[in-house]
Amino acid sequence: MSTAAFEFGPGDFERVAIERRTQTLSRPSVSYWQDAWRRLKDNRRALISLWIVIALAFFTLAGPLLWRVDPAAQDLDQVSQAPGLPQVAVIVEPYVPWAGLRATPLAAPAGGPGAAAGAGMPTDAAPTGLRLVEPATTQAVRLAWDPVPGATGYQLYRNIYDTEPDGALGLPVAEILDPAQVSFEDRLDLEAVPYWYSVVALDANGAEADGYVTLRVETSRVISAAEAETLGWIDDAAAVAIGDEIVLPYHPLGTDYLGRDMLSRLMYGARVSLFIGVVAPLLFVVVGIVYGSAAGFIGGRVDQLLMRFADFVVALPFLLFMILFKIAFGIGPGESGIFPMLVALVLLAWPATARLVRGQVLQIREEGYIGASQLLGAKTTYLVLRHMIPNTMGVILVTLTFAVPSVIFTEAFLSFIGMGVAPPTPSWGSMSNEGLRTMLTHPHELIFPAIFISVTVLAFNLLGDGLRDALDVRMRGQE
Amino acid sequence: MSERTVRDGGAPLPGNPRGDASPDRRDGGDSDIAPQRHDEPALLAVDDLHVEFDTYGGVVKAVRGVSFSVRPGKTLAIVGESGCGKSVTVQSIMGLIPMPPGRITSGTAMLDGIDVIHQKVVEGEDIRGSRIGMIFQDPMSSMNPTMTVGDQIAETLEVHRGYTRSQAYARAVELLGMTHIPEPAERAKQYPFVFSGGMLQRAIIAMAIACEPDILIADEPTTALDVTIQAQILDLLDELQATTGMAIILITHNLGVVARLADDVAVMYAGQIVEKGSSEELFHQCAHPYTLGLRAAMPGNDPHREQGLQAIEGTPPDMFDPPRGCSYFARCPHAMRLCEDRLPERFEVSPHHYASCWLQHPASPVEVPGLYRGEGEAA
Amino acid sequence: MFRYTVKRLIQGVITVWFIATATFIAMHSVPGDPLSGERLTNEEIRANLEARYGLDRPLFEQYLIYMGNMTRGDFGISFTQQNRRVNDIIREHFPVSATLGILAVVFAALGGILWGALTALFRNRLPDVVIMFLVILGISVPSFVVAGLSQLGLTSLNALFGVSILPVAGWGTLLHMIVPSLVLGLGTMAFLTRLMRSSMLEIINADFVRTARSKGLPPTRIFLKHQLRNAILPVITVLGPAIAAITTGGFVVELVFAIPGLGRYFVQAVQQLDYTVIMGTTVFYGAFLVFMVILVDLVYGFIDPRVRLE
Repeated sequence: MSTAAFEFGPGDFERVAIERRTQTLSRPSVSYWQDAWRRLKDNRRALISLWIVIALAFFTLAGPLLWRVDPAAQDLDQVSQAPGLPQVAVIVEPYVPWAGLRATPLAAPAGGPGAAAGAGMPTDAAPTGLRLVEPATTQAVRLAWDPVPGATGYQLYRNIYDTEPDGALGLPVAEILDPAQVSFEDRLDLEAVPYWYSVVALDANGAEADGYVTLRVETSRVISAAEAETLGWIDDAAAVAIGDEIVLPYHPLGTDYLGRDMLSRLMYGARVSLFIGVVAPLLFVVVGIVYGSAAGFIGGRVDQLLMRFADFVVALPFLLFMILFKIAFGIGPGESGIFPMLVALVLLAWPATARLVRGQVLQIREEGYIGASQLLGAKTTYLVLRHMIPNTMGVILVTLTFAVPSVIFTEAFLSFIGMGVAPPTPSWGSMSNEGLRTMLTHPHELIFPAIFISVTVLAFNLLGDGLRDALDVRMRGQE
Repeated sequence: MSERTVRDGGAPLPGNPRGDASPDRRDGGDSDIAPQRHDEPALLAVDDLHVEFDTYGGVVKAVRGVSFSVRPGKTLAIVGESGCGKSVTVQSIMGLIPMPPGRITSGTAMLDGIDVIHQKVVEGEDIRGSRIGMIFQDPMSSMNPTMTVGDQIAETLEVHRGYTRSQAYARAVELLGMTHIPEPAERAKQYPFVFSGGMLQRAIIAMAIACEPDILIADEPTTALDVTIQAQILDLLDELQATTGMAIILITHNLGVVARLADDVAVMYAGQIVEKGSSEELFHQCAHPYTLGLRAAMPGNDPHREQGLQAIEGTPPDMFDPPRGCSYFARCPHAMRLCEDRLPERFEVSPHHYASCWLQHPASPVEVPGLYRGEGEAA
Repeated sequence: MFRYTVKRLIQGVITVWFIATATFIAMHSVPGDPLSGERLTNEEIRANLEARYGLDRPLFEQYLIYMGNMTRGDFGISFTQQNRRVNDIIREHFPVSATLGILAVVFAALGGILWGALTALFRNRLPDVVIMFLVILGISVPSFVVAGLSQLGLTSLNALFGVSILPVAGWGTLLHMIVPSLVLGLGTMAFLTRLMRSSMLEIINADFVRTARSKGLPPTRIFLKHQLRNAILPVITVLGPAIAAITTGGFVVELVFAIPGLGRYFVQAVQQLDYTVIMGTTVFYGAFLVFMVILVDLVYGFIDPRVRLE
């Protein structure tokens, strides 16, 4: 750069007055909460979590108003129904008993060494010709097969899985000890799903042969007009004809093992889980604030004593004592178990908040601005309202947010081991517990409540992370 | 303590120019500025360094075109207010800027023909710790709390010199002795948290000079210490420089420290060097109003000084959006109209003494009392 | 350090006394006081209990008898099973729970430190994002769900290959231990990963790490001797609570995987309202956890020189 590159005007070297030159700061000042809100809004994960929490609140509060299905009502025709479209049923004639088929028992193959009938039956003998006598419906499945020479009877199995891979035949549905009886009618809890029926022949000792025959059966959902009227699915039995299709009560998320509507149970379960998850933290945080600020303000001996007691409560193994207190408070008829759980949670969970608040109070009390405010003549109420509360609110809010998922977990854990809310009150934890039993056959009964617990806990955790980042003063001006 | 004591620890690096440092420079060298001194080849030459940081509020241009050179065996002081970019400058030379958010957008720092900004490892050895040592502002947090002081010093020697553990440890004890830590053998076994701040800074100095570096970068080495301790640490640096002949880059905001130790001074303001020259020239022939302001704000020994301390009004500019013209414009009591929009050129007010200020332009009519006017030669 | 140890041990003993007392009070406030024997139909068990707990005496005397038994290390007798001592139950089932728990703790601690350090080093890059997503999932999914799903997974895996690769349930061999201990340690590992990550992020640009860089140390050495060493300290401090979490988490995992541990026995006792077994195992578990926490604190003191020398 050289002097020649510039043209200097006449006024260039004039001195300028100092007023004109003060640079204005380009960033506006923002209050603590404004800044926190801005940071939270910039945190996409926290914002999505906030929306999820709002959606959950809607699901819990408004859900049961929109989806008016009784969570305790058992739809026994749709037990453990997988989620899906509305089910239809075909109107059929009322059930007529079936006599079955009989056949002449065949003697053991010639040359058999045994004297008794069937003693010579080969150990791998398998029935043949397993067939449906008429189309399978949920009213009845009627099977027949060809007699096995030398058999003394037949054992029938029903499976909801293909028996092919591991030879598991499933549920033993009948044992027929009459060799002439070569048919079977299944009416046991039939659903509109595929079944695999297997027939095994029995030898003279009543032992099963190694061979078997399996048939895959598709059942269709049917109902008689009278039954449909009894269940309230149709208004007038006379109005429908045989072969008409009627729509069954709709369960969008399926039903549980007692035929109760999953969606409705999830909504009412949310009431329990979220009620405990929100109310318990509120209660014990309030207790903790009172206890901790009392200790912090009074100080000295009292503080020492109070905090020592808090130390002991902290040292109690949390879940063990939750169980213990639940047992201690929770026995009695008609108890849903929610109140005892709240009491136990408050009794055990307050010390963490108390410690935190005491620490905050002690720390803030030493801050320079408190001293400055006091020097300027501020009263105690002003100090508390203007300085103490705003400066501890952030930390308390974060504690509260993180307490929600941990309480929801606790509730789920206790309900899972049978120490939570008492049946039939649904909660996500007890629903998971029930779902686990039917996990292998009807996974949706475990998966739905598990998803709800996980998503709720996830949302509150991420929201807590976001709030902590937004409210932590040390983080201001970074990132 | 003789110079040999330091050398005994290991062979000097090839091409190490520190051997010809004059131990008596304090006695005679200060009063006149010998021109040939400036013609010595620079040990470390930093050229046009730019460093930026990405922050929430935008890009902070922390260092904007800084150039300076360090002469062998001499002390260069970089002076400026907090946040003017002096620490960032040396930390980017040492590769200590966290990246991201930091970013060195341009610039070189040549040490023996190697650009140390872009090449830290030469022939398998990191130049950091071996050829350039560094000490920091806060000794209490600058040492690993879970390692003994002796181990932390020895570690450098193990890595750079290939010493065995016991050799390195013995040498560490010697180094602690050299920095005047009493009972060095006992102290070496202790953890940093039992040390006092002053003692720990001595230990950190021992660590930094363990491999006899050519340059010691001292980033505000006394700021966190008591005033009495400060003087001792400065004396120690002075003594070590005399015995080892290393060059020192001293970062400070304290002109008293500069007057005491520095041969050359660079004054930084808002990420730029506004004036640089020898220590003598800067104190007696100040050519930039900012240097003048700093000097007026410095407590002196003269009890009869009439005006007392003069504060510089205002605050440094917003580094998110540095001013187009002179960055000192907003605070300069002698500002002129062109200062607002035009970046000042660099004027060589006397040989090797530069100032970036329009007041040095021959056309400038303003006479500022106490400000040295050069020939008006734009450099 | 010696004084500190003694002090902590005394505190521990007092805490255990507090736990025992709280247990006693809780059990005696059960509506209908089960210990009065009204619910008992088996005469022999009732006689046994009366002899043992002095049930006909005033409450305070009962308390003294109870505390006397506890001090002697006698945790009582079963309320539902004739002549079954809680000590025998513990002796029989606790080693199983302890094995499972130790495996889970080791797995959680090693995994947490490894993943935490890794995510911090790769901050905001792909490995960090992926691992932290899994971590958040690990924290948010209850252990019984993980246990159930892993069982479901194992069943289908075994069915897929037609042979039993890993047993779905039960106990006995090392193979039985793998999946339950992984499931049990998972939540804690996720928690420790988060902690390790934030601790590591705090350390990663600490002043002393900057010093280490300025000394020209190789990155691996900086990582191992300066960053990891300091970042692990907070992880060690929470190992005590982590052990507690894993112990109680063991209840569920033992239940789901049909492992004959004390946890499963405890849950069964809770479901059958076997009051005396609940009391005994609670005090035993409580004492165990209190002393584990103290042990962890002492180990921490040994590792961190700042604590050791104070």
